Amino acid sequence: MSKSSVDKPVVARRKLSAGPLGTGDKWFFRTTSIAAYFSFVLVALVLVFLFLKAWPALQTQGVDFIFGTKWIAEDGQPLIMQIGPMIYGSMLIALVGVLIATPMAISLAYMIVFMLGTRLAKVATTLIDLLAALPSVIIGLWGFYVFTPVAINWETTLHHYLAWIPIFQVENVDNAFRGSPFIAGWIVAVMIVPIVTSVTREIFSQLDRDLINGAIALGGSRLSVFRKVILPTSSGGVVGGVLLGLGRALGETVAIFYVLQISFDINWGNLLESHGGGVASWILARFGEASPDEISGLMAAGLVLFVITLIVNFLANTIVNRSQPWRKI
Amino acid sequence: MSFAPRPLVQPWKRANNTRTLLILLASVLPAVLTALLVLFTGFDANLAVLAVFLPLQIVAAGLVGLSAYGKRGFGDALLIVITIFFSAFVLILLLSVFISVITEGSKAMSIQFLTQNNVYISNTTSLDYGGVGNAILGTILIVGITTILAVPLGIAMAVYLTQSQSKLRGMVRTVTQALSGLPSVVSGLFVLSIIVTFGFSKSGIFGSLALFPLMLPTVARVAEEALKLVPSDLRLAALALGAPNYKAFFQVILPAAKSGLITALLLGLARVIGETAPLLLTVNVNNGTSWDPFNGPMETLPAYVYGYLSSSFSSAHQRAWGAGLVLLILVGVLFGLARFLGRAKSLKSKPTKQKASK
Repeated sequence: MSKSSVDKPVVARRKLSAGPLGTGDKWFFRTTSIAAYFSFVLVALVLVFLFLKAWPALQTQGVDFIFGTKWIAEDGQPLIMQIGPMIYGSMLIALVGVLIATPMAISLAYMIVFMLGTRLAKVATTLIDLLAALPSVIIGLWGFYVFTPVAINWETTLHHYLAWIPIFQVENVDNAFRGSPFIAGWIVAVMIVPIVTSVTREIFSQLDRDLINGAIALGGSRLSVFRKVILPTSSGGVVGGVLLGLGRALGETVAIFYVLQISFDINWGNLLESHGGGVASWILARFGEASPDEISGLMAAGLVLFVITLIVNFLANTIVNRSQPWRKI
Repeated sequence: MSFAPRPLVQPWKRANNTRTLLILLASVLPAVLTALLVLFTGFDANLAVLAVFLPLQIVAAGLVGLSAYGKRGFGDALLIVITIFFSAFVLILLLSVFISVITEGSKAMSIQFLTQNNVYISNTTSLDYGGVGNAILGTILIVGITTILAVPLGIAMAVYLTQSQSKLRGMVRTVTQALSGLPSVVSGLFVLSIIVTFGFSKSGIFGSLALFPLMLPTVARVAEEALKLVPSDLRLAALALGAPNYKAFFQVILPAAKSGLITALLLGLARVIGETAPLLLTVNVNNGTSWDPFNGPMETLPAYVYGYLSSSFSSAHQRAWGAGLVLLILVGVLFGLARFLGRAKSLKSKPTKQKASK
């Protein structure tokens, strides 16, 4: 009898909350909730409408739509739409872009957080954000007229000296260099460097200072602190940032459309040869002259792209949020 | 945090003159040698930077590090050289974009280029005729409608995420984050599928709708950050005085977060103003001037750039560059304004950030 009176506190702890007060408040919260749930509705609407229009194509093409390798849309022939090579092309270009962008982004983040003074760091951050705000059509314009000639020079050099590495091999020099996945990868890298940098910078700047100062006090040098302390503690977030960049790279449309020679065959990794592809750019390339039936196929391609980027982004955001516990409210 | 120099031999001396001289020499000599090599032997400049300058620089910095700090100095020098090289590379890429757009674009720039429309203009017409006036108008109308739709909704979402106690907040945030990675071409296809399903005809309003899912997450995210910066004590004080939540929001939080919310609007605008693929899929191009976003075709700046880029005539290229410059200026102005308004915000944010990290 006495035991229970000891265990139970006299008064239960009161929960503090600010609920709605009166009708005005109810409507206030109702409106904001509707706005918030609209994001669910929007994703659902995109999926449903794309699926509705894509269904005829998916039905006639079957599983081969994703894994097949032919796209025949000519008069008098049965329509064959299989997006496989373009999915592969998207992944190849995104991979090249991520491989180029990641070292740059980590270097930039390290520079901004650990090497520059406060004022210069702010300037650098602003510049990176500005790069993120550049429209893809401007990057495409620059990539087509300014970057491509420079990159062709790089490619010729690479091919000249490193042709023994399979990815730099070229079957026919006349049909190489211009419009290659290598150039497209660089353009994608330019576009995803800002997002990877900003995620990495955020994580670097929130690292436990005591940990780093302790490592320095124990006699760590810049390099050893970076390799043994900074990288291991921030690796999760950096991987998330890179995945976020990968998601952006997969969806890039216009810039790739300009600089890439889009052709519907698989470029198995000869980065310097002038043919490659990407789902988004393929949609743009075919859209102008497509028949209604083919439009349905393009919708299906868009649906596939959406699902892929949704999964990649979801994964990336989960990893980034996990590695930034201070962001939770 | 700073890595102060830690000499092995004389810890009380920061740096001596020989060391300063060595560091100076190591930072200048490789560049000079590479420049001389390129100038006098005609060595390929791109190759020289990678194959001559970078190794020379690494070796030079490594030697200085080795002589100053011993073995550990070598690794540090390596790290610093590579970091600076990559960072400088990104800076050069960025500057290259700006310089090329500004120099090439300013060749096409004139009053009539900014005000005239594009009727009777072909790929070979001289730059004395025609311009992007209609495209600027179309972009402003289409993006304006998107703003009217997306900004209130985005701010309402941010209010939900910061002020309500709902358990669904985490999920709403996840979905919003996922939406921010929506490929622009998919957004265009989505609106196109609506057009096809209901038998509408393409017009400017559908371009606005296609930009809407791209603008919404940006506005919601930046607005959420802005609302978070308002100290919650202010809101709780208002509630304690008996104000209902909506009055606390409109009379206390909104005025305090005003500049941050305007930043959200401007960054959202900068995000969508250059989007090309959604507009190509949902709005037909138009050489004439159109004031009506609900009927008929409409020209926009990104579509204008896109249209002239594919051509092979130099005057067409000039037009593309000119329109690109107009677009860049618009983005730059929006971005600069956002930064200017966000300055006060970032000053305020410092104490709260430190509190959070403790």
